[in-house]
Amino acid sequence: MIALNGFSASLGGHAVLADIRFSAGPGEFVAICGPNGAGKTTFLRALAGLLPGSRRPDPREMAYVEQGARCAWNLTISEVAALGRLPYGDMNAAAITRALDSCGVRHLAERRIGEVSGGQARRAMLARAFATSPKALLLDEPVADLDPHAAHEILHLLASFAKAGGLVIAVLHAVDLAAAYATRMVVMAEGRIMADDAPLAALPAAAKCFGLELGEDRSPRLLYSRHLGEH
Amino acid sequence: MNWPVALVVQAFLCLMSCAPSFASGVVSLNLCTDQLLVLLAPERVAALEPLARDPALSFVAAEAAHLPMVRADAEAVLRLKPDLVLAGQYGAQMTVALLKARGLKIIQVEEPQDFVAIATQVMRIARLLGVEQRGAALVARMQARLAALPSRKRGSALVWEAGGWTSGPGSLADAALHAAGWRESGTGGRIGLEALLANPPDLLVTETAPSTPSMATNLAWHPALRGIARRTIPPELLTCGGPFSVGAAELLAR
Amino acid sequence: MRAGLLLWASVAGLAIASLLVGGAGFGIPDWLILWDIRVPRTALAILVGGGLGISGAVLQGALRNPLADPGLLGIGGCAAFGAILVFYWGISALFAPALPAGAMIGAALGCATLMAFAGQALSGPSLILAGIALSAFASAFIALALSLAPNPFALAEITFWLMGGLEDRSLSHLALAAPPILLGCAILLRLGRRLDALSLGESTAATLGLDVSRTLLLCCAGVTLAVGAGAAVAGGIGFVGLVVPHLLRPLVGQRPGAVLAPSLAGGAALLLGADLLARLAPLLLPLGSEPRLGVLTALLGAPFLVRIARQVAP
Repeated sequence: MIALNGFSASLGGHAVLADIRFSAGPGEFVAICGPNGAGKTTFLRALAGLLPGSRRPDPREMAYVEQGARCAWNLTISEVAALGRLPYGDMNAAAITRALDSCGVRHLAERRIGEVSGGQARRAMLARAFATSPKALLLDEPVADLDPHAAHEILHLLASFAKAGGLVIAVLHAVDLAAAYATRMVVMAEGRIMADDAPLAALPAAAKCFGLELGEDRSPRLLYSRHLGEH
Repeated sequence: MNWPVALVVQAFLCLMSCAPSFASGVVSLNLCTDQLLVLLAPERVAALEPLARDPALSFVAAEAAHLPMVRADAEAVLRLKPDLVLAGQYGAQMTVALLKARGLKIIQVEEPQDFVAIATQVMRIARLLGVEQRGAALVARMQARLAALPSRKRGSALVWEAGGWTSGPGSLADAALHAAGWRESGTGGRIGLEALLANPPDLLVTETAPSTPSMATNLAWHPALRGIARRTIPPELLTCGGPFSVGAAELLAR
Repeated sequence: MRAGLLLWASVAGLAIASLLVGGAGFGIPDWLILWDIRVPRTALAILVGGGLGISGAVLQGALRNPLADPGLLGIGGCAAFGAILVFYWGISALFAPALPAGAMIGAALGCATLMAFAGQALSGPSLILAGIALSAFASAFIALALSLAPNPFALAEITFWLMGGLEDRSLSHLALAAPPILLGCAILLRLGRRLDALSLGESTAATLGLDVSRTLLLCCAGVTLAVGAGAAVAGGIGFVGLVVPHLLRPLVGQRPGAVLAPSLAGGAALLLGADLLARLAPLLLPLGSEPRLGVLTALLGAPFLVRIARQVAP
């Protein structure tokens, strides 16, 4: 159970978050959408306990992956995943292997993170989060710079995690992807929550925040299916 | 010209130049000439170089404390209007060149490296200052003290200066060693601590420890040297060659 | 594991060689020379070099930057400045431990300045620029202090402080430097897992339960002790902390924690080797005096710096 109750934050005299009330529990996949500068990253950091005044959750129950997460050193993928065991102070090989497996990078365990593709590196970072066996995953733009197949793979993975009883809160730029996978969409603009509802119900508010129209069109689209073209 | 006008003009000129001007003074720009000047004719001193007041370097530091100072700066020296400037061979070369170009009488002296040269230099400067009698008295006292040294033959001695430098044959320290009956074992080059210990002299001669530390001067007090016989000489006796340098020979002869 | 054994074996070998070479010639010298001169020099090369090696590894982990090095980043220079103030104004003549203490205060100030920069997440070259600025400040203050120092030989000793050396050190120097260096290394050796966490960035590390400010404080404390006390007795020696972790990573792995203990041994070996070279050079070539230790490490390290910098920012 993660919650914020009337949380506000400001940066250099500028209000970034204004009186946020939010709570989420197991089984939810919450997508946070909104225009640039809406405060999405700040909101997520507040949930992760990284802002002054926010409560820090137990590191064994929550895993946070920041935007554009990178590893400063060219570690092997299994070393990266092993970092997720830090809150426990152990090197539980079983948990690490399970995490690598869930993220589909087990066959890359001895490869170095600087030598694999962007999607694989991102999944390795995710494996680190999974290795903690957390109850909640907090992710900032986990699929922003990935190709469509990789993006779908990771979102599918997160959705499965939520279905199995975990909590996923992810900042997602692509509203359509969010609508396809999330169970709940939070729309933010200018530091406030504009809508907090099931994705279809929240779409109108999202459209308004982006200054776009909500409609349907029948143009060809790339569709994702696990049975086609495995990478 | 009639005298009231001359008096007014003179008073006017005196008021115009704010600095006091010694019409017949001697300026010394070198530590060694400073000391000889103070010993021979302190009343003729227009200004000395500031090192003359440093008790670690100057034998006449106490007397020099009451005498005027000047840095080696051509303008400052010119203001004093000296009738003679004493300088060394090295140091303040540009100042000396400028002063020569302005027509001042400048005498440059070498550093004496043995007692004969010291005697010669004392007499030369005494003649320049017009105090030959005082010069002769100083030289006579020095030679008496030299003659009074016991003429025992002793072993080898090494003068080890700051930074590991040895005084070699032909240096002032060497002359003091010889006068005291020691045999010089230094060559004039640098010798490291290990090399020194591998071939230790009968006597190690170093400067007395200064009040202000440096790594070069601290080297003389390295614990590894504690087994060698040691004599320390106050540096002001040998930094410049003068009549007082015989004090070093006396210390070495004890 | 094997790399570690090899490293310590080479340290032992170089130490033995170090005891057999000196101004008195090759071979076992007489007891006085061995005990009073060569033993302190060898032991100091191991301690100072080891301290520099592991400090470099820790700084690189903490700042997430393979170009970090206590000498390059100005910490060594600040330490040397502190030592100079204490030495030339006679304070350490009254109270010997004041010398490493003064150096450690200087190192602490340098470290704190750099950690403040690190919080702004400067990229590789920018951090080095910050370090160069700090280094330049330190060198300027060193020159000023030495020109104002009371003893006339002070200014001539500037090359010692800026370029380092271990000649003519005694057991008293060893006694002054050994406790802080050993304590500093003990602190730094235990930071492995914390530095691993920092690989993912300070935010992520915080969510993994790492107390980031405490970690940086411990890094500062360890580096201050090891580098400060080292600079107090050996002057400014740089590049050891840069080169050693870089050379060892292909052997022991890229994890910051994996390179700590090997960097300790590697730094000791490197400085022992450089010091041996410094002593051999005047015996084999017509040199007037030993080449400065910091010059030798700089000659080795500068090409490495170029190479590493190219990898960071091609």
